[in-house]
Amino acid sequence: MTSEAGAPDLSSTIWPQVDRALSGISVEPEMGVLDLIVRIPKDEVVRGLRALKRAEDLNFDYLRCLTAIDWEDQGIDVVYHLYSTTKKHNLTVKTTLPNTDLTVDTATTVWRAANWLERETAEMFGVRFNGHPDPRTLLMPEDMDDTFPLRKDHPLQDIKLIQGEGIAFPEEQE
Amino acid sequence: MTSILLPASHEFETQDIFVNMGPQHPSTHGVFRMVLEIDGEVVRDVLPYIGYLHRGAEKLCETMDYRQGIGFMDRTEYLAAFNAELSYVMAVEALAGIDVPERAQWIRMILCELNRLSSHFMFLGAFGVDVGVLGTSFTYAFRERENIFDLFEEICGDRMMYAYFRVGGLAWEVTDNFVTRVNQVLGMARQGIADLDGLLTQNEIFQARTRGIGHIPAADAIDWGMSGPSLRASGVALDVRRDEPYLFYPQVKFDVITGTNGDVYDRYLCRLREMHESIKIVEQCLQNLQPGPIVPERMSRLLRTPPGEVYIRTEAPRGEYGVYMVSNGGNRPWRCKVRSACLSNLQALRDMTVGHYVSDAVLILGSIDIVLSEVDR
Repeated sequence: MTSEAGAPDLSSTIWPQVDRALSGISVEPEMGVLDLIVRIPKDEVVRGLRALKRAEDLNFDYLRCLTAIDWEDQGIDVVYHLYSTTKKHNLTVKTTLPNTDLTVDTATTVWRAANWLERETAEMFGVRFNGHPDPRTLLMPEDMDDTFPLRKDHPLQDIKLIQGEGIAFPEEQE
Repeated sequence: MTSILLPASHEFETQDIFVNMGPQHPSTHGVFRMVLEIDGEVVRDVLPYIGYLHRGAEKLCETMDYRQGIGFMDRTEYLAAFNAELSYVMAVEALAGIDVPERAQWIRMILCELNRLSSHFMFLGAFGVDVGVLGTSFTYAFRERENIFDLFEEICGDRMMYAYFRVGGLAWEVTDNFVTRVNQVLGMARQGIADLDGLLTQNEIFQARTRGIGHIPAADAIDWGMSGPSLRASGVALDVRRDEPYLFYPQVKFDVITGTNGDVYDRYLCRLREMHESIKIVEQCLQNLQPGPIVPERMSRLLRTPPGEVYIRTEAPRGEYGVYMVSNGGNRPWRCKVRSACLSNLQALRDMTVGHYVSDAVLILGSIDIVLSEVDR
């Protein structure tokens, strides 16, 4: 899923500023469909997010979205979508958590908006956010402990039965 | 013995009690529960509970073809379903690299803005009831909303869950009298807004109840991730339609309405004024609407997207409705995250409510204009 670092088309994006703000942190850039994506190791992600927020030429003061993606054997990606209300640019920050250690520091110290989003991610994927001020469940019942609905191995029961490869159209079946 | 006459500085000390509001409370606008810690009449703490309407729409989307997910999006944001569909189909189109014909985009814009009107009518009506106008504002607002829904029904056959936007364009062509009908609806909506404006905005009791409560400063609102009219009321001119344009929004003229105080009254006024902007946008769209195809010429029946990811954000009536879609190359999304505007707005509820009276808590909650199906998904 990663491209070569320093691809030529990144110079027209905000990558130079991001690279400067994240000096000292190993970062892998990649160009998404709309926004620049950077990958930060999980131990440094919150330090990186704070640096991105504080950098004057970036000023990522708005957390649009925080979620996770389950890549099965390759661990779980936690994804942060940042936005700057003054500079009007976007950045996607990703960090990969190995299945053996699904913990990452909380981003609530950077933006309060991360509070409920992290609670939701925690209950849906089983990711632990260290230092979260309110680590209760959000959408799920309080006694739902060791089952994580948005993981790929969570059973779906009957729903799979109506699934085929795409929608079956009558003329294609014949 | 203590004197019966208390010194002027003395305040009665009351014990803090917990009051449960919801989830079956008429003024919580759905199944929302909050536990209020109150000292006399003053709210000291708020503990919101959500999740009563969680249906796992994101998980369901992962199990179905891209086109089947559109129906779930309708149900996440049932008061502005066109806006929800739009984010979803735009995400699939961005991943698959599909170009949408111009006519389809103009019609999408018209329907989204009309949906914004209907949603804001719903807000005005319900908010009036919260303030204490009994049923009058509700019936006025619903009369207008019904007009808009009649038009939607003529086009897509359904009044709320449309599933009319499809990947690549629209499900089918609009009715022949579309332009005249839209103009007709706009005329009625304009009258409806004037009626509600006259009923509420300048009303002394209404102002006394809504001004100066539920204040949230701009910096806090941004930090909490608020969006839409609730954020703009705090004076932050943030509108996805203008800042990161999609569809043909750069080609139409409209103002981004902002408030100054960030209180309940400003949030109400922002929505009311936004409705005039929506009417302006629809009128300009109608002038630009040309005959043409509504779906791309070549659309394969088996829709697959190359691996990749996209975060599409659009300005829905309640704020930024985002769809984060990740594809691994199959015919269904690997991950489809819905960024709910109400969820982020609702986080700031505690900041807004603490220190105000219990009766104002209802107004403050109403002024964020939540729709619980979008919060819980």
